[in-house]
Amino acid sequence: MLEDAIVRKVLSTALATGGEWAEVYAEDRLSHNIRLEDRRVEELVTGRDRGVGVRVVRGTASAYAYTNRFDTEALLEAARVAAAALRDPPQHEVRDLRWREAQIRHPVAVDPAGVARTTLAELVRRADEAARAYDPSVAQVSAGYGDVRQRVLVANSDGFTTEEERVRTRLVVQVVAARDGVVQTGFDGPGRSMGFELLDQFPPELVARNAAERAVAMLASKPAPAGEMPVVIASGNGGVLFHESSGHGMEADLIAKEASVYHGKQGRKIGVERFNGVDDATVEGAWGSFAFDDEGTPAQRTVLFEDGVCTDYLTDLIRARQLGLRASGNGRRQSYADVPIPRMTNTYVLAGGDDPDEIIRQTRKGLYAKSLGGGQVNPVTGEFVFGVVEGYLIEDGEVTTPVRGANLVGDGPSVIAAVDALGGDFTVKEGICGKEGQGVPVGNGAPTMRIARMTVGGTGGSA
Amino acid sequence: MSVELEAVVERLAGEATGAEGVEAYAELTTETEVSAFQAEVERLTSASSSGVGVRVVRDGRLGYAYTADLTDEGLRECLAEARANLEVSGEDPGNVLPAASDYEALEGIFDPRLAGTPPERKVALALDLEARTRAADPKVTQVESARYGDVVGRLAIASSNGVRGSFAVTHAWCLSIAMATEDGESQVGYGVDAARSLDDLNPGPVAAEAANRAVRMLGAAKPSTRTVPVVFDRMVSPSLIGVLLAGLSAEEVQKRRSLFADKLGQRIGAGGLQLIDDGRLVAGPGAAPFDGEGVPTRRTVLVDDGVLQCFLHNTATAARGNAVSTGNARRGSFKSTPGVSAHNLFLEPGDLDQAGLLARAGEGLLVQDVSGVHSGANPITGDFSVGVSGLWFRGGELAAPVREATVAAHLLDILRGIAAVGSDLRFTTGSIGGASLLVGQMTVAGA
Repeated sequence: MLEDAIVRKVLSTALATGGEWAEVYAEDRLSHNIRLEDRRVEELVTGRDRGVGVRVVRGTASAYAYTNRFDTEALLEAARVAAAALRDPPQHEVRDLRWREAQIRHPVAVDPAGVARTTLAELVRRADEAARAYDPSVAQVSAGYGDVRQRVLVANSDGFTTEEERVRTRLVVQVVAARDGVVQTGFDGPGRSMGFELLDQFPPELVARNAAERAVAMLASKPAPAGEMPVVIASGNGGVLFHESSGHGMEADLIAKEASVYHGKQGRKIGVERFNGVDDATVEGAWGSFAFDDEGTPAQRTVLFEDGVCTDYLTDLIRARQLGLRASGNGRRQSYADVPIPRMTNTYVLAGGDDPDEIIRQTRKGLYAKSLGGGQVNPVTGEFVFGVVEGYLIEDGEVTTPVRGANLVGDGPSVIAAVDALGGDFTVKEGICGKEGQGVPVGNGAPTMRIARMTVGGTGGSA
Repeated sequence: MSVELEAVVERLAGEATGAEGVEAYAELTTETEVSAFQAEVERLTSASSSGVGVRVVRDGRLGYAYTADLTDEGLRECLAEARANLEVSGEDPGNVLPAASDYEALEGIFDPRLAGTPPERKVALALDLEARTRAADPKVTQVESARYGDVVGRLAIASSNGVRGSFAVTHAWCLSIAMATEDGESQVGYGVDAARSLDDLNPGPVAAEAANRAVRMLGAAKPSTRTVPVVFDRMVSPSLIGVLLAGLSAEEVQKRRSLFADKLGQRIGAGGLQLIDDGRLVAGPGAAPFDGEGVPTRRTVLVDDGVLQCFLHNTATAARGNAVSTGNARRGSFKSTPGVSAHNLFLEPGDLDQAGLLARAGEGLLVQDVSGVHSGANPITGDFSVGVSGLWFRGGELAAPVREATVAAHLLDILRGIAAVGSDLRFTTGSIGGASLLVGQMTVAGA
């Protein structure tokens, strides 16, 4: 995207006022998003966004400037603006920029940019028809497909340069079902770091059916009970819970600021013996995967919990140096307009050996959280709240009445200490994780798991 | 640079041929953000970025494309993409461009002092805010974040219907997050201020607010489940009103996704309740002379004395619903087509400040933080269940802090249950103003 000679010039301009190291991040992003609502293709939007960011770092302090012009003068100006934060003579030089080769690839079989617009329109129409055919109570369907091709260049004055082309595709379907004055919604949205072949794995009919099934099932729901009870979380969804309630607290910026419940817990046993959790950007084709993070560090697999023991944190370059930790390849940013910060990639609770059906059979009375909505966490205390978008009562070992309006409330360390069953099944869910105003794609995965006791908030009175 | 934006949109609008309508919307944004940590500048970001979005309509079809590449080639490609995208879109009577109309400039949304503020003063403000927060209370052990930020935005719009408009706007804000620690337990608290220029920000009260909110939560315990009056703090009430906002958009009504779809002319809130959107209220950050498609903004009373009066419209929803645009076409940026949203939405404030509301309720829960709103509140069904933390109050006085509680109710019951709106209305960075709210009875669930 940019010539080495220009990049070197920008980096040395950036280091002219005493910075320890400097970085150039260039990005060119082409996206297509089609959306169907109300039986109609509402819009197809093509977007081209591009820009370059220059960062100067000294210790834990950084200055960042970006522009969306690619001419040399604009780049040098950005470097000067970033460098203006410091006022010292130059201390460091730009080393020779050596090409850093990717060790991992996420293959693209069918380039989405080559797919005909009519095919995209057909795709969302098929989803619409399938969802409506599922049940007469389906009242409204919205279906969307999006792809992005993001080309990234990262060069660092420590002496490397690399480029990566990332392709991501996702199909999302939301269904509204209504019957007898009750309205419920259902959602499904698989996404991968792959090309248009995503649709072979997740045809629109399948995704639409999943979303419709959720909405229709919840029509018969009663208000959820409130109080403490055992909670069985369906496979995949425990990953979302783990991401929010523990993962965020293991991001090294919060550790460095001692603003995490996991600060100082490395080497300590927090979870039950069988609990294993990882963050893994190397999983081929996964939604949160890449070859390099947004600082050019190769993608890695980081063990967060091994047999219940807190093992490692997730770092970017600044936090790794500050804390004397390994650079774990978790420096991510939403775009060239953002500075990288420690972020999760694909965060997984590893499967145990229990039979998922048996886990439910052995639960006398509790809640089965089949699908969780988004959640929120206060990393300082580890406290979180999660909406259960599809939930059922468990009575005498059987999944019975659907319940609505349930919330799971708790804190990360207590949850992983209270896991008393881990299934042998494992699935993933995709999402966009927000932190400091930046959204990045993340995958979350887990087997069916049971939390022995958890607070459930609901409107249906005490359980 | 604003001249250049006008030239860009003018040129694109002039490309319209035959029966097609072309609209171009361009932005140029210059931003600075400084964060301080432990008496040092942790991060300084400064940026300038621009882009244009092109909307093409023909025979009731819509095509859209955007680009950050404002070169001749970039603009040509963008228009070609928008035209090609139109070919696969469905027909809809809403796919029309608004007619040209005169707009009145809005004094006070652009403060020229901001453009001339040197970076040193911005850095100094962030450092000062951090120091003040740390010094505000001995129990404050860390300032998780102390930030200053500002934006100078310029935008221009032009269409083949003759729409021409441009304006500039400034925003400055500061935010502090204090962390208080005692006996191994930590709590955080926020403070925030926003204005049109750095000169009008007050870091002192922001620091005090952040520290106080963190310190008073120390020792928080899980409550037992009970039903009590609840006061939502003004920093919390915007997220509650935000859930209602979705249902007040005519777009959601037309798509049958609004809780209020069949409630026009009906009582949906307590008597006396006034919900207003005012696109010309300069005290709110959403103030603008015209909306995201060039239609003049105005003041719209959505709920009058508890009765739902109307919905928010842009040109598309107005065309579909045989109504008039309320000037509520809003865009996240040049990257999106105009949707429907509020400019400055607020509940008309009452006479009592927060202390007055607590005294009136006597005993209950003051909610100072909510979590899980985006998952626990459903604007379509009206189900509302969120995590809360705050403080009990007794005899109108704040008492023990509470954590890990949930409150759940149907949104309509909350609206009807609003017993009073506080006098402490304030806009900060979002399009919704916050005032303390007293809700008669709610179930607070805990252990």
